[in-house]
Amino acid sequence: MARPMTVVRLDDVVKRYRTGGEVIAALAGVDFEAARGEMVTVIGPSGSGKSTMLNLVGLLDTPSEGTVRLDGRDVTDFSEDQLTEERRSEIGFVFQAFHLLPMLTAAENVELPSMWDTSRDRSDRAADLLRRVGLGDRLSHTPDELSGGQKQRVAIARALVNEPDILLADEPTGNLDQDTGRTILDELTRLKNDEEVAIVAVTHDEQLVEYADRVVRLVDGVIQ
Amino acid sequence: MSGITGLLWRFPSLQMAWRNLGRNRVRTALATLGIVIGVVAISSLGIAGVALQQQATADLGSLGNEVTVSSGADSDTDGVTHDQVDAIRSVVGDAPVVPEKANQTTLSSRDGEEAFVSVTGVTSADALYTVSAGESPERLRSGALLTNDTAMRLGVELGDPVTYDGRLYRVRGIIESDGGFGGGSELVVPISALDDQENYDSVTIVAASGNEAQGIVATLETRFNEGDDEELSITNFASIQENVNSFFGTLNLALLGIGAISLVVASVAILNVMLMSTIERRGEIGVLRAVGIRRGEVLRMILAEAAFLGVIGGVAGAAASLGTGLAIFEVLSGDPTLVFEWQSLRYLGYGFGFAVGASVLSGLYPAWKAANDLPVEALRG
Repeated sequence: MARPMTVVRLDDVVKRYRTGGEVIAALAGVDFEAARGEMVTVIGPSGSGKSTMLNLVGLLDTPSEGTVRLDGRDVTDFSEDQLTEERRSEIGFVFQAFHLLPMLTAAENVELPSMWDTSRDRSDRAADLLRRVGLGDRLSHTPDELSGGQKQRVAIARALVNEPDILLADEPTGNLDQDTGRTILDELTRLKNDEEVAIVAVTHDEQLVEYADRVVRLVDGVIQ
Repeated sequence: MSGITGLLWRFPSLQMAWRNLGRNRVRTALATLGIVIGVVAISSLGIAGVALQQQATADLGSLGNEVTVSSGADSDTDGVTHDQVDAIRSVVGDAPVVPEKANQTTLSSRDGEEAFVSVTGVTSADALYTVSAGESPERLRSGALLTNDTAMRLGVELGDPVTYDGRLYRVRGIIESDGGFGGGSELVVPISALDDQENYDSVTIVAASGNEAQGIVATLETRFNEGDDEELSITNFASIQENVNSFFGTLNLALLGIGAISLVVASVAILNVMLMSTIERRGEIGVLRAVGIRRGEVLRMILAEAAFLGVIGGVAGAAASLGTGLAIFEVLSGDPTLVFEWQSLRYLGYGFGFAVGASVLSGLYPAWKAANDLPVEALRG
């Protein structure tokens, strides 16, 4: 395994929201980093700013103050189009509700992030990833023909198709029973090492803590 | 996987759009139906206009092609002279020139039935008269032509004699009464029957087309009528034909306008459908954006959905309009294949073009809205 190396880093990040004339700081000065081959679990009560932090790390949102670095580059002031390119090449997402497209097969869902890039044929990579998450016989099944655990495996394969440096998981086991959740976490742990990705998972599932290399507790927008 | 999806795979926006439309077939079908109705409205109203115009032109028939010459206001003679007829012949070229003498008489049948008819003396009948029975001789030396209704009233049949000015003529052809224009009953006899008349009452020149007829009018005007001096009165009904054409041009625009309204309604329906479907799929589009699909790619995907609705509706609408056009021409002119002439066929193209254009236009706003939705907002909603 390669020596841990920082992939993403937040420096003194503040994120404020305006709701109903009132300004709320969802994140109030957060320092955070994640390295290749490391699984960091962010836990905290709802409203603690977990999702906001994940959105910033995933370049879906920009901070009000502070800097965001990806592979050492300052991406804080990137335009939406530049952020899209970074997300496409560097970041994989796994959502609590899976968010697979119902009209695409498992293999097509995995290929989705690179679908518009017709210069590369990702079908081999997609099939390979699906085999590795144990779905080699489900390539042409549509999401409604798959169980919850199978859907989340497809989502994990999708997150990895562009060989990202970082995989972000928002409550990855939230819609799964205990046993299925465990198999998903085993899968993530294995892929973390195989693919040398940083995994940042946000949860209030204590089970996830067992699998984490490091646990970050967030309360009221501040890391404890 | 079917052929169309295989081909579409090379165009991801089309591929995704096609799959998305397949997800809610009823909604897709209803949106398409709106477009079909719009296209049918535009195309079949356009085709109906063309059919009406062609029918009206056919009904007016040769009227526009005929130039009628009679003695002018400043003429010294009581008609068109032989010399003038020869002069007319020399300037009009190949067009048949038929001098006529006119009179009136009362014909009576053996059982006392009487009919008042206008009498026309001509040298050649075939250029001016089309017979429904019998013949229309090129040179009318003996015999006569009689209008259908007069013949019926008097019980005259082909071969029966009629008397005019004390002489007997056998009826060689039955002609249709030409209704509105100078219409009524007519007896056509050889010009020799009106020999006591020195000059001709009128001369009819039959041109090949309305344009040629107008050319002949211009030629004759310069030849015979210098300045304000009207030696010959020259009339042609081509201007009526022009008025009729211009009327139908206006009518067609009005019909197309009505058709266009229904297409506008259809495109508002598409706007609504596309807007609803992008709002429903907001989270999904957020996922697309999150995993790195560019704004332009989302935009193209949704525009492609709208374009598909337009193309499918346009093709179906054009097919339905072709059927309607066949029916219209069958009813109006009895020849359904006339619909395949460019004049009417182009309305299918217009309908299709309008459909695709209106659909893409309707898709622009929903597509732009979906593509520019911030992914973090879209994922939350």
